[in-house]
Amino acid sequence: MKINIQLLSVIFIFTVSISFAQIANSPHDFSGQGWGTTEICEPCHTPHNSDATIADAPLWNHQTTTTTFTLYSSSTLTTTTLTQPDASSKLCLSCHDGTVALENFGGNTGGTHFIGGNANLGTTLANDHPISFIYNTTLATADGGLYDPATHITELGGTIEEDLLIGSKLQCASCHDAHNGYNNPSLLKIGNDASILCLTCHDK
Amino acid sequence: MWQTVLIPGYKYSNLNAVIRLKANIIKIVFTVILIPVIVCPQSIVNTKHNLSVSGSGSIKAESETEICVFCHTPHNSSPQKPLWNREDPALNYNLYSSSTTDATIAQPDGSSLLCLSCHDGTIALGNVLSRTLPIPMAGGITTLPPGNSNLTKDISDDHPVSFVYNPTLAGIDGQLNNPAILTGPVKLENQKVQCISCHDPHTDLFNKFLTATNQQSELCNYCHDRTYWNSSNHKLSSSTWNGMGSDPWPHTEFTTVAENACENCHNPHTANGKLRLMNLQQEEINCLNCHNGNVAEQNIETQFTKPYKHNVSGYLQIHDPEEPNVVQTRHVECEDCHNPHASNNQSATPPYVSGMLAGVKGVNTNGNDLNPSQYEYEICYRCHADSPDKPPSPTIRQIEQNNVRYEFDMGNPSFHPVESAGVNPNVPSLIPPYTTSSIIYCSDCHASDGTNSPKGSHGSIYPQILKLQYLTTDYTPESAAVYALCYSCHSREVIINSTGSFGNNVHRRHIVWENTPCNICHDPHGISSMQGNTTNNTHLINYNTAVVQPDNLGRLRFEDNGTFRGRCYLTCHGEVHSPRSY
Repeated sequence: MKINIQLLSVIFIFTVSISFAQIANSPHDFSGQGWGTTEICEPCHTPHNSDATIADAPLWNHQTTTTTFTLYSSSTLTTTTLTQPDASSKLCLSCHDGTVALENFGGNTGGTHFIGGNANLGTTLANDHPISFIYNTTLATADGGLYDPATHITELGGTIEEDLLIGSKLQCASCHDAHNGYNNPSLLKIGNDASILCLTCHDK
Repeated sequence: MWQTVLIPGYKYSNLNAVIRLKANIIKIVFTVILIPVIVCPQSIVNTKHNLSVSGSGSIKAESETEICVFCHTPHNSSPQKPLWNREDPALNYNLYSSSTTDATIAQPDGSSLLCLSCHDGTIALGNVLSRTLPIPMAGGITTLPPGNSNLTKDISDDHPVSFVYNPTLAGIDGQLNNPAILTGPVKLENQKVQCISCHDPHTDLFNKFLTATNQQSELCNYCHDRTYWNSSNHKLSSSTWNGMGSDPWPHTEFTTVAENACENCHNPHTANGKLRLMNLQQEEINCLNCHNGNVAEQNIETQFTKPYKHNVSGYLQIHDPEEPNVVQTRHVECEDCHNPHASNNQSATPPYVSGMLAGVKGVNTNGNDLNPSQYEYEICYRCHADSPDKPPSPTIRQIEQNNVRYEFDMGNPSFHPVESAGVNPNVPSLIPPYTTSSIIYCSDCHASDGTNSPKGSHGSIYPQILKLQYLTTDYTPESAAVYALCYSCHSREVIINSTGSFGNNVHRRHIVWENTPCNICHDPHGISSMQGNTTNNTHLINYNTAVVQPDNLGRLRFEDNGTFRGRCYLTCHGEVHSPRSY
């Protein structure tokens, strides 16, 4: 009985959390910035005439980066599929590499506001967690320090592959939800208290 | 958000499958939300390296919950990999060096530098790049407190890191495995030994984050392949500590000599004896901590409390394993005569070395270096033969010689049978099993006194580290006791009571009636053929000139006139033999 009360408490908190989990008032809500637009979605999305250059880009409205990035490398990095950021990660970097102005959307290219601080990853990703690489059972086996994404369950309830990977690849969106769906600091999909997010994939 | 359940003893996993079996639909729903996280001992979460507030060690954060953050950050890391979140420590370490190291040791690099960013004690544990202010640690701790895990800037007392370990090094050293075999838990990083070769910072399966157990020095042996080690007692002995005195194994959890293996004597970190990472700087204490009757059966330590000894405690850091076979600067340490990597219980007969002296370098009868010594005396010759700093003779004689290699040479007119059987075919006093074909060890005479004392010339109550009493002072009244050493091989009855000129006129007259010690006429080691001859120096005759003087014509000599016959020219005890024959 005691357990059930605890569990009920948890589900209550969870439900309350969900109710606040939204992009409005999150770091990705630029509607009050005074530049560009008062709409929340517009800096990234448009219902019409979107940029379909990047495959599967959801009705993309922001100018995309043309940067060739310096990639992460390390003697202990096992992946052999690390490439230039692709898919949704390239969309993120269209603000977060600091080369494209924040208000360069809807055809505007003359923006003057650029991302700053730690959110500006720059054009070198050598000091950032690698993205746009395939994370599958083969990689996990070869590395020895990663959970099998096909079977390991995340805090979200599904496997790593189901919950965090996009087309078998680890992308920015594996850790971050741009729309703040989980209401965690740094727009994380899984809160990193006790490094739970890191330890979802890293078997350390 | 929701609670994470940490249950030690299990691997991270969810319990969905188990709980589904219980057919409790409510619990299934809750479980999906909850995903209980269960942690096993090999996760960093349950190690001292979990510096977050949930850490199990005594050093942890005041409130920080993130674990990885103390070392890693997903963004804006330092140039160091992997995604390093700390600044590098200054490269001003005091490095390990020793005469037996063949590796080129430079300032730490690679991942070792990352470890040292906490473990040199200079950078605050909570000082991470991804935070504006250092993460506060419980108890106000900033840098790693003094202790075994704080290596400090002086890493000269730690196993070297950041050196290239390649087949060339293994070839030069001769006692390292070819690194090509390192496909198991001990790994190199870009051909270099680094901290991670022995330690896995994320996993603490074997204590001290070791990558393999060091029981029986398994970890050490991945790289180190010591000559003779496989037959050494220090590898094989199941002896345990009896609990008396100081703990011989303070830095391990192992309880037998075999289990401690290398760590019986060596300490890979903060070694008190920096050179060769010995447990203690005072060389002999490394041995005597066990060889005091508390682990090893024989108490060698007691022998060194006696007045006459190989005074191992009298020298500090003079012995060097790389020193010449012929010792140049006088000293003695246990390792001058014993090789702790080789010593074993193998018995031997003279002149061959026993297992206790296995694997020790020496000097042979021709004065040539050899390694290992085949015969026991070859070890003695390191110091007592050609050494420029060898001890003087205790007795002044007609023929002066303190190079015992010359004294025992088998070409000499007479010598005690150490290198080979003696030259005299007629020694009636010999007590069986000794015969004129016998060979004896130096340590048959020079050994610890006492009936049950351990073998070897460790220490004695008698001068010259003699096993039994051997008085040399003139006018000593004869007894079985005063020449017990000689009488242990040479029958006292035969020497002083036999009839005929040899017993009556020579020995009884001098030893018993004149109270003259054996040592006055006999030179116990031998007389070199370079100085003596087969007329004047058979039967070890080489007079002690403090007692025996020339006759009235200035003659001082013995002449051998055949079996049991001789003639002496001398003055002694006021008697002039000018000459006197027997």
